[in-house]
Amino acid sequence: MLTVPALEAAGIVKRYGATLANDDVDLTVASGEIHAVMGENGAGKSTLMSILYGLQQPDAGRLLLQGQEVRLRSPLDAIAKGMGMVHQSFKLFNGLTVWENIVFGAEPRRGLFIDSATARQAIAALGEHHGLSVDPDARVGTLSVGVRQRVEILKALYREARVLILDEPTAVLTPQESAGLFLMMRRLTADGRSILFVTHKLQEVMEISDRVTVLRDGRVAARLRTSETTPQDIVRAMTGRTIALTAAPSQAQRGRPLLEATELTVAGPGNRPALDRVSLTVHAGEIVGIAGVAGNGQSELVEALTGLRPLSGGTVHVDGSAVTGADVAGHRAAGLAYIPEDRGNVGSALAASAAENLAMGFHNRPPLAQHGRINRAAMTERARGLIERFDILIAGPEAPVGSLSGGNLQKVVVARELSHEAPVLIAEQPTRGVDVGATEYIHAQLLAERDKGHGVLLVSAELSEILSLSDRVLVMYEGRIIAEVPRAKANPDSIGLLMAGRSVAAA
Amino acid sequence: MTPIAPWYLRPLAAVTAILFAVLIGGMLIIASGANPLAAYWQIVVGSLSPASLSDTLNWATPLVGMTLAAAIPLRGGMVNLGGDGQMVIGGLVGALVPIYLPGLPGPLAALLSLIAAALAGGLYAALAAWGQTRHNIPMLISSLLMSYPAVGITSYIVRFPLRDTATGLPQSEMIPEAARLLTLSGALNLGVLIMAAIGVLAVYIDRTTVAGYELRMRGSNLRFAAYGGVRLPRQAILTMFTSGAIAGTVGAIVVLGSQFRFIDGALLSPAYTWSGLMAALLANGEPLGAIAAGLFFAALQTGGFAMQRETSVPRVLTMVLQSVVILFLAMRHGIARRAT
Repeated sequence: MLTVPALEAAGIVKRYGATLANDDVDLTVASGEIHAVMGENGAGKSTLMSILYGLQQPDAGRLLLQGQEVRLRSPLDAIAKGMGMVHQSFKLFNGLTVWENIVFGAEPRRGLFIDSATARQAIAALGEHHGLSVDPDARVGTLSVGVRQRVEILKALYREARVLILDEPTAVLTPQESAGLFLMMRRLTADGRSILFVTHKLQEVMEISDRVTVLRDGRVAARLRTSETTPQDIVRAMTGRTIALTAAPSQAQRGRPLLEATELTVAGPGNRPALDRVSLTVHAGEIVGIAGVAGNGQSELVEALTGLRPLSGGTVHVDGSAVTGADVAGHRAAGLAYIPEDRGNVGSALAASAAENLAMGFHNRPPLAQHGRINRAAMTERARGLIERFDILIAGPEAPVGSLSGGNLQKVVVARELSHEAPVLIAEQPTRGVDVGATEYIHAQLLAERDKGHGVLLVSAELSEILSLSDRVLVMYEGRIIAEVPRAKANPDSIGLLMAGRSVAAA
Repeated sequence: MTPIAPWYLRPLAAVTAILFAVLIGGMLIIASGANPLAAYWQIVVGSLSPASLSDTLNWATPLVGMTLAAAIPLRGGMVNLGGDGQMVIGGLVGALVPIYLPGLPGPLAALLSLIAAALAGGLYAALAAWGQTRHNIPMLISSLLMSYPAVGITSYIVRFPLRDTATGLPQSEMIPEAARLLTLSGALNLGVLIMAAIGVLAVYIDRTTVAGYELRMRGSNLRFAAYGGVRLPRQAILTMFTSGAIAGTVGAIVVLGSQFRFIDGALLSPAYTWSGLMAALLANGEPLGAIAAGLFFAALQTGGFAMQRETSVPRVLTMVLQSVVILFLAMRHGIARRAT
C-alpha cells in the first residue's frame, strides 16, 4: 500500500439550517482499498458523498486527493480530479447506446463530429482490461439493471476515475449480480483504484470491504478494520446508545389481535419485492418491535400498513376491520395512529401553526369541526392543552412549527397521534435525533399506550430502543421477517446476528 | 390566516416590487421620449377617478374571476393553466342556453346560463385533475393543452354550425335582452356583484372550512396531507372543478353582461387568464391577497387605456409593469431561499 492515501477528508463540516449533517468528519481511503461507509438514514453519508463528488461545498474542512489539497466546485471538477460516482438511481440516457452514454461529455472528436470508431475501440479495450464486458452498440434501455450499473462504472473509468463512490450499488441487484459486482470491485482495486462503498448491508461490508467508517448523527462513530471486527460491533456503532433502559414488562394481559397483516407483498425496484410475504400480528397490550438494519423493508412495511403504499398482495386488518386497499383515511378511521419516521417532511407542515398541525385528523369532526366549518377557538384550545400536557416548548398555538427543535417537533407529532387514542399505534423511529429527555418521555408514552391495552408496533434502527421496550422482536432482513424473538431471549448479540441476515444456529 | 412569516412581509414585498416596476417603467418611458409623470398620472386618473371607476370594476370582474380560478388550485400547490379553455367553454355554453332555450323568463334563463357555464367549465377542468390522479398525466401540462381544443371547438361552432348568419362574423346570435345581466350603472352590470360574492365565498371557505384547511395543508406539505388522511385524488378533482367553474362563470358573465353574444376570440384577447395567474402568484394563492392583486392589475390595465389615449405611451407598458412586478417578487423569493 502506498503511503499517500488516495483520498483524505479532514474535519468536514456541513450545516443545513439548524442541523449539522456532517460534524468534523475525517475519512481516509488508501489506494487499492475498498472502504465501506455505513450509517443509518440521516447519519450524514449522503452529505459526505455529495461533498466528495463536488455536489455540495463543505462549510469547513479539507479534501486531499493523492496528497494534493483540492476544492471540488462541481461534479465536473470532481471528475476531472479523478473522482467517479455511481448513483443509486442511474444517470443514463435509456434511448442512447452504451458507447454514447459512456463517452457523453468527453467525446473523442474528429472535427465537428464524434469519432465513434475511436470511442468504440476505447470502450472495448476498457471493458476487456477490467473484465466488464458490454456490447457498446446496445441501447441502454434494453439492458438489465446489473448491466446498466456496469455501464455506469465504465463511464467513470472512461473518465479515469481513481476513486469510485458506489452508492448502495447492491440495492437493485440480484444476489448473482451482486457477486459479479464484487468480483468487479476486487479487480478494480487490484488495479490500484479505490472504492468507497456506501451500503446498509452488513454482510456485504464483512465480505468485501477492507475498512469501515461508521457515521452516526453526522459524526464518525467508529473506524474499523473489517478483518478485526464483527457485525455486532458495526451495529453497535451505528445504533449508538447501548444503555439498555429496561422497561417494566407488560402489566396488561396480551389481548385480542389489533393489527393483523398477512402475506404483505410490495413491489420493489428491480426484480426483488421490497416486502416479501410479511405476516405479523400486534395484540392489545403489547409492543412489538421491528428490528433490522435500515433499508431492509421496514419503511415499505409501515407504508403498506398505513395505506400510503399500494400492496401487490396480502391483507391488513385494523381492530378487526379489513382495510386492505383502503386509503390512509380508511386506515385511520379503523383505528390506527402513526408516528412517521420523517417528522419534518411527512409528520408536519412546517410553515403551518402548531394548532393546525395538531388538528390534522381531528379537523373534520366535532369538537373541532361542525357542518364542514372549523371552530378556530376549539382548535387553538386543543393545541394549548396538548402543548401543556406534552410540555412542548413553543411560543404558542399560532406559532409555526418549523421553528421548533427536533425534539419539540417530534413531541408535536407524538402528541397529535397519541391524542387519537387509537387502538393501534405505529411508531417509526420515534426518538431519532431527539435528545435524551424527550426520548425518555416518548418511551414512557409508548409504554403507557401498551398498558392502556393498545397495540404498538415499534420500528426502530436503535437496537437498544427495541430491546428495552418490546414484548416481542421481529427481525427484518431483505424484505422478509426472518425471526421472531420473545423478550426473554432477545439480546444485542442474537438480534445483531439476525439483523446481519444470519440465523442464530449458523452463527 | 396563520402568520407564516410576520403578516406584513408579503404585502411589503409586493409594494417594494411595485415600486421597482414603476421605476423601471419610468425609465422606459423616458427612453421613449415621453414624460413618465404624465403617463403615470393618466393611469391613476384613468382608473381611479370617479368617472373611470366603473370601467375599472367592469374590467376587474373577469380579471379577478380568473385570479380566483388560478389562486384556488395554487393554494393547494396545484396549477391550472387551462383557464382560457374553461372560460371559452363557459362563455359559449352561457350564450347558447338563453339563445336556444327561448320562452324561459329572462332572469331564469340567465341563472340557468350561469349554472350551465359553471358546470361546463368545472367539468372540463376536473377532467385534467382526473387525468392526473388516475393516469399520472401532469396537470400543469394537460390543463394547458386542453385549452387548445376548447378554444378551437368553440371557434368552430360559432364560425359554422351556430354562426349568426345576419352579420356573417364569427359570432353567435344575440342573447335575448331579457336574459342579459342587469345593468347597474354605465358599463357595470350584475356580474360585478356575482364576482364579489364569489370572492367573499372563496375567502370564507379558505379561512373557516374543513375543505379550506385541507387545501392549505396540501399546499403547505403534500406528504403531510397524505399522511394525515386527506383524500388527495378527490380533493384535486373538486379543487379543479371549483377553479374551472369560476372560469366558466367568468366567460358567461362577460357574454351575458357585456358582449351579449359569444364572439370568437373576444374572451381571450384581454388575456384575463394570464393576468389572473400572475395576480394569484403574487399572493401565493391566498384568496384575499389574490383579489387585491387582481384589482390592482385591473386598475393598471384600465388606466393603461387612458394613458394610451392621452399620452403617446402605448398601453403595453402596463403589461411590462405587471411582468416586472412578478419578476422582482420571484427574485426576492430566490434570494431568500438561497440565504437560508
